[in-house]
Amino acid sequence: MHVSVWREVAGSNLGRAGLLLIGAMVLLAIFAPVLTPYTPRENTSTPAFSRPSEDHWLGTNDARQDIWTQLLYGARTSLSVAFGVALLSGFISVLIGGTAAIFGGLYDRFWMRVVDATVAIPDVIVIILVAAYLRPNVLLMILLLSALSWPGGARVIRAQTLTLKERMHVSASRTFGAGPYHILLRHIIPDLGPVLVATMIQDARRAVFMEAGLSFLGISDPSVMSWGKMMQYARVFTYLEVWKWWLLPTGIALSITLIGLSFIGFALESALDPRLREREKGHDGGI
Amino acid sequence: MVAADLSMEDLYKRSLERPMGGLKSQRVMAIARALLRRASFFTNYVIAFALILVLNFTLPRFMPGDPFQAIYGEEALLAMTPQLKAQLVERLALDQSMGQQFVAYILALASGDLGHSYYYNQSVLSVILDFLPWTLLLTGSALVLSTLLGLFLGVESGYRRGRRLDKALLAGLMFLNGFPDFFMGIVLLLVFGVVLGLIPLSGALTPYSGLSGLALALDILHHLLAPLAALVLVRVTSAYLLTRNTMITTLKENFILAARAKGCSEGQIRYRHAGRNSLLPVVTATGLSIPQMVTGALFVEIVFSYPGVGSLLYNSLLTRDYPLIQGILLMVTVVVLAGNLLVDLLYSRLDPRVSHAR
Repeated sequence: MHVSVWREVAGSNLGRAGLLLIGAMVLLAIFAPVLTPYTPRENTSTPAFSRPSEDHWLGTNDARQDIWTQLLYGARTSLSVAFGVALLSGFISVLIGGTAAIFGGLYDRFWMRVVDATVAIPDVIVIILVAAYLRPNVLLMILLLSALSWPGGARVIRAQTLTLKERMHVSASRTFGAGPYHILLRHIIPDLGPVLVATMIQDARRAVFMEAGLSFLGISDPSVMSWGKMMQYARVFTYLEVWKWWLLPTGIALSITLIGLSFIGFALESALDPRLREREKGHDGGI
Repeated sequence: MVAADLSMEDLYKRSLERPMGGLKSQRVMAIARALLRRASFFTNYVIAFALILVLNFTLPRFMPGDPFQAIYGEEALLAMTPQLKAQLVERLALDQSMGQQFVAYILALASGDLGHSYYYNQSVLSVILDFLPWTLLLTGSALVLSTLLGLFLGVESGYRRGRRLDKALLAGLMFLNGFPDFFMGIVLLLVFGVVLGLIPLSGALTPYSGLSGLALALDILHHLLAPLAALVLVRVTSAYLLTRNTMITTLKENFILAARAKGCSEGQIRYRHAGRNSLLPVVTATGLSIPQMVTGALFVEIVFSYPGVGSLLYNSLLTRDYPLIQGILLMVTVVVLAGNLLVDLLYSRLDPRVSHAR
């Protein structure tokens, strides 16, 4: 199945919408220092709980900090966790899933047993448990989330590798004396692209959600700026009017990121599903 | 007649009732293989559960600093006297090797002893049991409602594939699915609670109201409505998408054409012929979504201060009541694993292909 990831995603309305949303978020995160004169923890001279104004686009919070600035820096945390988890978890998935399919035998059965058991564990619960003790920072959060999200990807990659390795060009390569690593790197991984990207996007989406959720519960590193934490603080002040420019924009930023990722993921998945694939050109799953 | 059948023999005077030896042993082998598969399928749950136990045991004990603080939290240290400390050391076997401590831990769990919460000054199990019914009510009704709604919308949408209603539903539900459930809860709380004042801002029933019977049920429903809506709005999408996909493929089958030719009404075709094919995948997906639903409910409860296990967990995280945190997470794991196991078993009953597959 030769599917061009880029063409499929950019060729559907849903995929384009997702790319647009995520692209905007990435730009905001990268250019955060340019887009605001403050730092996220700076106590400005403006009184607390002031309304949005020219100096403070989203007003200030209870500690006289600029909310717009915090929002921008929160995007950095969310996106770096998402990016880190997608890369690390995708890498482990290919490593385990790919080698399990190629070597087969006891090695394959061992890893698939590990995958089956890990998939049965409710991962959110384990993450909350570990985070309650360790209060993870960004790096630890990436490691923790990847440790629990690779098995799902490994299973998908293994299945895909199993079908790919029966292809004609792989047999040809084997006849010419290619070893397992050459086959994996040169012939299998390039063709895994679309499936790999789809699982990575799913992992990224879960990572954004979990990072926000953990900070919302107050069990991530308190020194890291995060949307979840902003919502946790802002939630206390719903009796004041501040929720309109504190709680709501933060939640919307988080939702936009999640929605963007799920749109891209959905566009890709309907491109990969052969049952939904026989359809008019540039027409995904009905939209 | 029956007796005659039973004594029927073939040309070589072998009873026809009894299959030949080879066939029989094949059948026994098949059954043995099925049992083995069932066993290996249980082991996954056993391994998963064991992993959680080990994590629960090791995390507090390998934290830097006083294991007491890590095991019991700060509340306990306030109440600590030398006698109490000595008693606890003995109970947890803290002065012995890690292996013996682990045995003591497992034995305590096996007798239903999840530890003591010093914040509530009650045993962890009794605290959790106080809060659990509300979570079960919320999660259970959200599971049922989102599945039924997903089935209905999926059938109607798949039947009208590509038309305006289908496009609107697909885009709308995909959009809703993007929201994290706790933010959906916050939005509902702000709009219907804070701005419009239609729903209560916290709790599961009006305190000290002295209501009973129907009035009490209505009061509970009134409090349940918004948290339930938050969960269903976000979670309905998976059942919907699955039903819609199944509808799209099923509607192309020949038996649908036959049903049309027979003169079945559109409603009959939609639900009796096409729609019921999506029941099986949707039931499975519902089962698989139990963990997400439970954790979603935990977050939504926090937003609405709904007095379930989620709010309890939030409180115990804030007060660092570690025995309670551990107890809650262990209980939730048990509930989730039990739910998944049930669905797995139910599924092999519902779909003969699964249990007869090689």
